[in-house]
Amino acid sequence: MKVSVLQENLAQGLGIVSRAVSSRSTLPVLANILVKTEDGRLRLSATNLEIGITCWIGAKIEEEGSTTVPSRTFSDLVGTLPNAQVDMSLNTQSQNLNVNSGPSNTDIKCIDSQEFPPMPKPELDGGAEFNVKDLKEIIRQVVFSASTDDARPVLTGVLLVIEGNKLIMAAADGFRLSVREAELSQAVEAPIRAIIPARALMELARVAGDGDEIVTMLLPEGRGQVIFRMKNIELSSQLIEGNFPEYQQIIPGSHTTRTVVSTNAFLKACKQAEIFAREGSHIARVNVIPGNEMQPGTIEISAQSEETGSSEVFVDATIEGDAVLIAFNVRYLREALDVISTPNVALETTAAAAPGVLRPLSEEGFLHVIMPMHLGN
Amino acid sequence: MNIIILPDEVASQIAAGEVVERPASVVKELIENSIDAGASEINISILEAGKKLIEISDNGEGIERTQLITALARHATSKLRDANDLYKISTLGFRGEALASIASVSRFSITSRTKNSLEGGRVIVEGGTGGKLEDIGTTVGTLIRVEDLFYNVPARLKFLKKDPTEKRQIDAFVTRYAMAYPEIRFRLTQDNKITFQTSGNGDKREILSSLYNPEIAKQMLVVDSGFDQISIKGFISPTNLTRSNRQAITFFVNGRWVQDTALTSALIQAYRTMLMVGRYPMAVIFLEVPPELVDVNIHPAKSEVRFMDQGAIFRGVQGAVKRALLAFTPVPELQNQLRWSSMAETINSEFDQGIKPPPIGTLDDDSAKSVDGPIDKGDQNPLPVEGVPLLRQIGQVGASFIVAEGPDGLYLVDQHAAHERILFEKFMKMQKDKIPSQALLDPITITLSAEESNLLEDNLPVMGKLGFVIESFGPKTFRILSMPSLLIGSDPERALRVVIEDFEEDEKPFHDQIEAKIIARVCKRSAVKAGKILSTDEQKALLLDLEACSSPRTCPHGRPTMIHLSINLLERQFGRKGAR
Ligand SMILES: Nc1ncnc2c1ncn2[C@@H]1O[C@H](COP(=O)(O)OP(=O)(O)O)[C@@H](O)[C@H]1O
Ligand SMILES: [Mg+2]
Repeated sequence: MKVSVLQENLAQGLGIVSRAVSSRSTLPVLANILVKTEDGRLRLSATNLEIGITCWIGAKIEEEGSTTVPSRTFSDLVGTLPNAQVDMSLNTQSQNLNVNSGPSNTDIKCIDSQEFPPMPKPELDGGAEFNVKDLKEIIRQVVFSASTDDARPVLTGVLLVIEGNKLIMAAADGFRLSVREAELSQAVEAPIRAIIPARALMELARVAGDGDEIVTMLLPEGRGQVIFRMKNIELSSQLIEGNFPEYQQIIPGSHTTRTVVSTNAFLKACKQAEIFAREGSHIARVNVIPGNEMQPGTIEISAQSEETGSSEVFVDATIEGDAVLIAFNVRYLREALDVISTPNVALETTAAAAPGVLRPLSEEGFLHVIMPMHLGN
Repeated sequence: MNIIILPDEVASQIAAGEVVERPASVVKELIENSIDAGASEINISILEAGKKLIEISDNGEGIERTQLITALARHATSKLRDANDLYKISTLGFRGEALASIASVSRFSITSRTKNSLEGGRVIVEGGTGGKLEDIGTTVGTLIRVEDLFYNVPARLKFLKKDPTEKRQIDAFVTRYAMAYPEIRFRLTQDNKITFQTSGNGDKREILSSLYNPEIAKQMLVVDSGFDQISIKGFISPTNLTRSNRQAITFFVNGRWVQDTALTSALIQAYRTMLMVGRYPMAVIFLEVPPELVDVNIHPAKSEVRFMDQGAIFRGVQGAVKRALLAFTPVPELQNQLRWSSMAETINSEFDQGIKPPPIGTLDDDSAKSVDGPIDKGDQNPLPVEGVPLLRQIGQVGASFIVAEGPDGLYLVDQHAAHERILFEKFMKMQKDKIPSQALLDPITITLSAEESNLLEDNLPVMGKLGFVIESFGPKTFRILSMPSLLIGSDPERALRVVIEDFEEDEKPFHDQIEAKIIARVCKRSAVKAGKILSTDEQKALLLDLEACSSPRTCPHGRPTMIHLSINLLERQFGRKGAR
């Protein structure tokens, strides 16, 4: 293999794929990045057997070939090279990769690409297409609700359902639930239902650019895999097997109090309460006080800690229904408010022991359910 | 039916059954009499585990010749005058039963002289009968010989244990009294060999050495505390020095050895979270309580007591023990145990000496086992420091231990044990107030066996306090609606199941402690497992949380959370200093 690339492109590509390099694996080749000439470009791939990331960069190819380069060494080296052309040539016999740029000349010991796990090329037909920006927003609104605990693996994933041109993503960690619905520009032929690891979606959001690019999602039959493909980047992930909880049953069908507040003011109040929320419990009270002829409605968000002190914040609110005092994990509130981009948000409640629902005002499609807390008796 | 009044001898023999159960109880009664008589020297001589002969001589005040016969009568005592005296007993004896009882089941002789008379007297009694006073020359004090104990009560003789067991029990009594009365010189001779003696110089530690062994005696922690008119003093083992049973726990109340399971449990409770399951501390505790606040007249053997304010005494004992422990719980330091394989030989030979069985037995039948074996001996000197030093996270080994640096070397922290401790203390702290509970999105349904559901049913209120909301959901089926928010991230069902597992024998009597027990178990279940890779931030957070704990050095079940490799040790091991 003999290729020339621009340092800038190589560094960027390595930055993207190295996120899938497995740092602790018994398989040494997984600490390496596959470097391979492919269709007139240079392919960089890494996988930890759960998530695989590939990035293609422009290259001048003199001789086709492939090898796997230790990720750390390669990234560190490329980072120090000048912003100029980098020439690489592989001695197939010794698997030494010579990296040459201006005055610097290095040899890196590599591992034969034969040892790298195969990363099959997907059929590009029949996938669902998204605008990258939209998909990133959808991901942002649901992934944080997924569980990080492996005790119930399905909850570490995000449920994805597509029927016709309707998409639903849902994530829940046992205490809260995010559901996001969206419309696809193009309907899919066969309905899709899969649980994608939240981690993979977070990586996807991270590596995908910000442009108006199109991302195609594929679920090749019988492979238990999902593949997201963009122009220069591809991310694949194993799917999670199992049954996702029937989340529709969890969403309350009604409420007795509806509180509309400024998203920003509510978020700030929560951040302040979080400072004081009792160590280890994050408990904050939300006191919903309806208004009357004399006074507008208000919500009081309060928290206290034996060590730190206490905090109360009042936020003006438009309240329909009864007064209610309910406690939540303030971190859950904050994380949900953080992903709501409308100026106002509605909090729907029924009783202290019943779930609360957050919905962005005047924007259909997103809702967040939070289970309340209470103090033991 | 023909009802008769039993002849005196028979009545005495029946009464004797309660006071004199075995040779050791004779020894106990006679020692108590000598102590009551103000003796400063007591010699005990035993043949054939006391079955052949028990002889006790003292240099106490003695008994007037003319009173000797009376002393042998039932209910004859010089220590009580009327019933009111019963409420403020300051002597060890008071029932006036011992001499009569012992004399009725043995060939008995008592020789005594007071300092006021030039001649002593002697009375010889066989099976409670006979009893003629003769004059005899003797020193001031009393000599009692009990021969052929139970010769006339074969049933009792049959129930005596094998000689070694009976001997151990005699040892136990003598050594414990020696401990309580360090200013009295004791000498115990068994089958013509001196097996135990004290100097009478008042040094309790010296007696501890002969009670256990010098190594252990050195490590015992001092308890010295009290409240109101009550004083609590003594010695307790540090947490690394344990036994497999409670036999090495001794209580004295006003100089009387008592065997009170409640007091013993109170003491064990103070160690609660610091000892491994199934391990027990060693302790000798002396309680001084105003006589009117304690009732010793509960059982003829006078080994049980009842306090006016039982709760206050228990709390006092617990507090005193906890204070002593907190001040002295060392971080186990890997000193001599550290063995690099290449050096194994050299180091082994030096350090395998150590564990000597304690010379003194216990009152248990299976004491033979406990004597030979399980004494944990650590090699550290207790550091009088609380808490743990500030630790700087370095990394994780084996996905189980966090490596950290402290001011004095390297610390290895067991992530599971440490997390267990952290959760436990957070729970206990919140418990004072109320424990926050987080509702589940999707209630978890569990089905149990009939017995398990009863247990769960019983403990539902406790679980409620801990933040579990559980409802009955059909026969033997329950739903978990809410769990403690502290345990978010772990499986509520697993955590819940700990309450339906068997509680050890041990854990039952203290129902007021059931909460802490359950909490400790829940924490154990929910704590991060060994084998889990932790991020750098998680490791740092764990160390920080551990530093904030008040007993950070052990998990709630008593395993150490960390071991320490001091700079000193490392230097030695690398041959930089004091090369061996
Ligand atoms: N070693 C002794 N020295 C002096 N007096 C003794 C001794 N042993 C017993 N006595 C006297 O004999 C009495 C009866 O003893 P005992 O039967 O043990 O009853 P108690 O000890 O309950 O009074 C005692 O009250 C005491 O006056
Ligand atoms: Mg007596």
